[in-house]
Amino acid sequence: MKKENFNSADAKLGALLRESRSFPALPPRFQQNVWRRIEDAEAAALPASWLDVLASLILRPHFAGAAVAALMLIGVFAGMQEGRQMARHEAQMNYLAAVAPHSLR
Amino acid sequence: MNRSLAILLGALALGAAIFVGSYFVSQRATEICCANPADDLSWLRTEFHLDDAEMAHIRELHEGYLPKCAEMCAKIAAKKGELEAALGSGTNINPEAQVKLNELAALRAQCQAQMLQHFATVSQAMPPEQGRRYLAEMQKLTLGTHEQLEQSMSGDTGHEHHH
Repeated sequence: MKKENFNSADAKLGALLRESRSFPALPPRFQQNVWRRIEDAEAAALPASWLDVLASLILRPHFAGAAVAALMLIGVFAGMQEGRQMARHEAQMNYLAAVAPHSLR
Repeated sequence: MNRSLAILLGALALGAAIFVGSYFVSQRATEICCANPADDLSWLRTEFHLDDAEMAHIRELHEGYLPKCAEMCAKIAAKKGELEAALGSGTNINPEAQVKLNELAALRAQCQAQMLQHFATVSQAMPPEQGRRYLAEMQKLTLGTHEQLEQSMSGDTGHEHHH
């Protein structure tokens, strides 16, 4: 009889304790970070070839974004240089055609 | 392994497409933006860093030279017609054709001298250093083709031309 009273008192006490305890807020992206850590740990456990390493690097958004930006910048810069050269050559030929008859060149 | 290879090849293809696309778009855009086909003298301004006053003087010289050049071109074209008529359908160069050939050569030489004189005059309207560069560039562009042709016909290329 006394034991039953003690058990119900423990349950009440436990409930009161749970209510009074404050849980701190979880950091942002807690769940994503947990999964990422689990994935990283699993990936580290598997032996990866250089091709897999490269492929995983390419698929990382930061790397892919940087590579696309770099390629576009290099392409635009090289294209501008070539375009300037072509425009210069065209202008030179225009002048030459105006002052030097083709039969004399 | 196969998945990684596919990713790598796909990334390479995509990268090449991005590079080539941006290269050609910017090349075309720059060419359209920088070119000024309406003005024959635009090259002089940009290449030799000429100011408005120098350009105005050079434009005046250029416009004075063009009618003389056109007149000379018309004479050369007429002489070419005479030469073709003299050559006719024969297989030998007759004395009349030889005379026309000499006259054509003389006209060309006269036209070339006039052109070189114009280049010299234009070069004097530029700042000295730019003028020297212009004259050298124009001589290279107009006389260089003949020099290359003559060099290719001489012993320089190992091919002897005996007369």
